[in-house]
Amino acid sequence: MNFSRINECFQTITDEDVLEAMREIPGYLDITPSDFIEVYRIAFDHAVNRIKTAILAEHVMTRTVVSVLEDAPLLETAVQMRDHDISGMPVLNEQGAVTGVISEKDFLSRMTEKKDPSFMQVLIQCMDDSCCLARSLKTLKVRDIMSSPPVTVHKSFKLLDVANLMDRRKINRVPVCEDHNILVGIIARSDLVQAMC
Amino acid sequence: MIPYFKKMAGGGQRPPKVNLSEVFWSWLGAFLGITPVAYLNYNLLSGNDFVYIIGSFGASAVLVYGAVRSPLAQPRNLIGGHLLSAFVGVACWQLFHPFPWFAAAFSVATAIALMHVTQTLHPPGGATALIAVIGSEKIHELGFWYMLVPVGIGVGIMLIVALAINNMASRRKYPEFWF
Repeated sequence: MNFSRINECFQTITDEDVLEAMREIPGYLDITPSDFIEVYRIAFDHAVNRIKTAILAEHVMTRTVVSVLEDAPLLETAVQMRDHDISGMPVLNEQGAVTGVISEKDFLSRMTEKKDPSFMQVLIQCMDDSCCLARSLKTLKVRDIMSSPPVTVHKSFKLLDVANLMDRRKINRVPVCEDHNILVGIIARSDLVQAMC
Repeated sequence: MIPYFKKMAGGGQRPPKVNLSEVFWSWLGAFLGITPVAYLNYNLLSGNDFVYIIGSFGASAVLVYGAVRSPLAQPRNLIGGHLLSAFVGVACWQLFHPFPWFAAAFSVATAIALMHVTQTLHPPGGATALIAVIGSEKIHELGFWYMLVPVGIGVGIMLIVALAINNMASRRKYPEFWF
């Protein structure tokens, strides 16, 4: 998620827009259109920053989270991800605390030895090999391939910090927890986009 | 050097023209504001003194009747700008009158600086400071009374007329702020 690009989208105000606005306001305005645009852009940046820091993780998170237990079989987990049309989910222990995150990437990682696995990488390897690469996963549990320790955020995190974290760690979703890492929601990149628009 | 000269090309857009109703209210305000001020000063001052002081109030009229939304036209600026500048002008004359050319430059520059610091910038204030220096002996003899007559009374009249006339127009409002 690139906030600066979103900001640029909002900053497409033109000289003509300003002149039109100045015509609609009665009286002589003692300011040039370029001065107005400069003031507008700086004020806009302040407003965006205020909004970014005012919105908390708990305001934008999805509260009904599809999750899986650590000792769930991978086959069952894959079926769950397919049925819910999701590409990843938090992994919980018996107490409901987040202990990891499992995603398509974790499955792919186990199916190829290459670094930075991708679907295409696995497909190529599949076409080269005669056996199915997924077969080796059938007997494994979630805890065997999940990414751990998980990247999570507290529900009181500012949205800007959440976005920066996801950008820095190159992740598409982040579980939202309250104290003791208890899961209360999840934020996906799409949630960030909606919150900013 | 090229960026330096490029700045001189301008390149920005001028603000749009105001409509005829705006022109009418500006004209009426300026006429009704300057009439009493000119009449009063015509009877108080003579020769260049009258020309100078009415020039300063004429410049104020552009702001308080022609650009009523401008921060420079607000009562704080109109009153504060003129009175502080009058004070600076008189003080400069009394301190530096053996060197009138220096007193003139110093008074205008100091008036601008003081108006900036006190957030009372009002361009005609520069003229008010200058008049205290370049005016006749009659002006100089007024001493700090110059702040009251002709400056204070003139400013007061112009402010009262600005409040009365500008708020008659349905799409005008004056002032934007007082202090």
